[in-house]
Amino acid sequence: MLGMFLESLNNLFSKPVTVKYPYEPSPEPEGFRGVIYYNEELCIFCDKCENVCPPGAIIFDVVDIESGKKEYNYNPYLCIYCGACVDVCPKSEEGCLIQSNERIKPLGRELPRDKRLGYLINRIENPKEFEKEWSKLEIRAKENRERLKEYKKAQRAKKAVKKE
Amino acid sequence: MSNKVVVPFGSQHICLPEPVSFLFDTENEVITDVKVDVGYVHRGIEKAAITKFDFTNVSYLLTRVCGFCSITHASGYHHGIEKLLNIEVPKRAQYLRLITVELDRIHSHVLANAHVGEVVGYENMFMQSVKYRDDVMWLLEAITGNRVQYDYYTIGGVRRDIDNNMVEEIKKRLKKFKEHMLRIKEFYDSDYTFGLKTKGISVISKEMAKRYNVVGPIARASGLDTDCRKEFKYLPYDEVGYELQLYTEGDVWARNMVRQDEILNSIDMILNAIDNLPEGEVKVKYKGRPKGEVFVRVEAPRGECFYYIKGNGTKVLERVRIRVPTYSNIPVLKELFVGEKYSDAQAIVLSFDPCMSCTAR
Repeated sequence: MLGMFLESLNNLFSKPVTVKYPYEPSPEPEGFRGVIYYNEELCIFCDKCENVCPPGAIIFDVVDIESGKKEYNYNPYLCIYCGACVDVCPKSEEGCLIQSNERIKPLGRELPRDKRLGYLINRIENPKEFEKEWSKLEIRAKENRERLKEYKKAQRAKKAVKKE
Repeated sequence: MSNKVVVPFGSQHICLPEPVSFLFDTENEVITDVKVDVGYVHRGIEKAAITKFDFTNVSYLLTRVCGFCSITHASGYHHGIEKLLNIEVPKRAQYLRLITVELDRIHSHVLANAHVGEVVGYENMFMQSVKYRDDVMWLLEAITGNRVQYDYYTIGGVRRDIDNNMVEEIKKRLKKFKEHMLRIKEFYDSDYTFGLKTKGISVISKEMAKRYNVVGPIARASGLDTDCRKEFKYLPYDEVGYELQLYTEGDVWARNMVRQDEILNSIDMILNAIDNLPEGEVKVKYKGRPKGEVFVRVEAPRGECFYYIKGNGTKVLERVRIRVPTYSNIPVLKELFVGEKYSDAQAIVLSFDPCMSCTAR
């Protein structure tokens, strides 16, 4: 009986176990798998990360078909934070793709502004449009891929004609 | 005078952690017939595993079958693929696998026991258990990098190593956790009111458990000594002091006690494994693609989890079949309800620790 009384007194004056998460940061352990950061200068555009990503949260969009220029786009709200892309990246040790241990805020009033998060997320003003724009991007990227393929085929055919 | 009423229990109910629907035909509060529906969270994972993903990537999908036993599903898949590709996993990786699998079992069992305590009337018990459980969740997050769905396994080993700081942290936290678990075990063992609600409720005899093919802690509570960890030795369990936990009562109380004893045994196993952690690599390289078929049985927190994998020498597998423990426990659950009071139905369901996202996949 006395023990019970002492324990309840102890519980009454001890610190709360929970964290006031949205108002205070929730501490992550070291080595936590957080947001993926990208460095365009080091990228060799091998597309391995795009192919390996299980939910398809990384998309390389072909912007210019003639030069074959690609833009990296990343959706942190679709990402499952498995780290498969970082494992497969040939330049990850130099810092092309890094898995930080930072958490991203849920999709709310504002979008994060960071050059390392890819192009699409920095271009959109209204966070409500992000999902719509992402699904548009998915379709557009597929079409552009096919166009690039056709363009390359045509170029090859031209070269073959020249040789003959 | 009889009073026949049909009482729905689920698919959404305040007691149920996951969507499963029971329709009870009751007569004066005594259940006479049950209809069960388990297919509320079907996501087509088996189909996706053989169409959308390469065999190297399937594990990212299979870890998301379930939140509690996610690492068990990964282990089932990887043990199968490693058999097909003839890979010998390094000793250190095996020990690390064992540590994470047992940590996963601990946090699943703590929550299952806490749920039983909650529906029996001890809400504070639930809160206390979940408070202690967070230490284990933190450890898993620190070891694997993710809090719930751990992408820790990879073909040929594990994806990251642990350092000395982590070893000390695991020891410190687990020793504290063991004290709390001993206190909770004493409560389950000796509390009078808890015993009234759980002892002698929904008894499964040993013959019944054999006939209905019951698996996991539920079978062990009825005196049936079945455990894949003992039978198949897919991880070095006999080196770290595995013990089979057996009770013969077969009621709700015995199921809770089996789980509580398994928690204590798992803690001992982890502490042993971490003291004798072998040096060496955690990952080996592999070549080739899976060809042929393989059966794997691993022990999930809820019982035997069965994997069938068939490869045809290409990147994409031909068939992945999962049979989860809850699925084989449902027939006996249906049988048990008949003749019990409706007020005990919640405790019976939760003492089975049903996992519907595994069952429906």
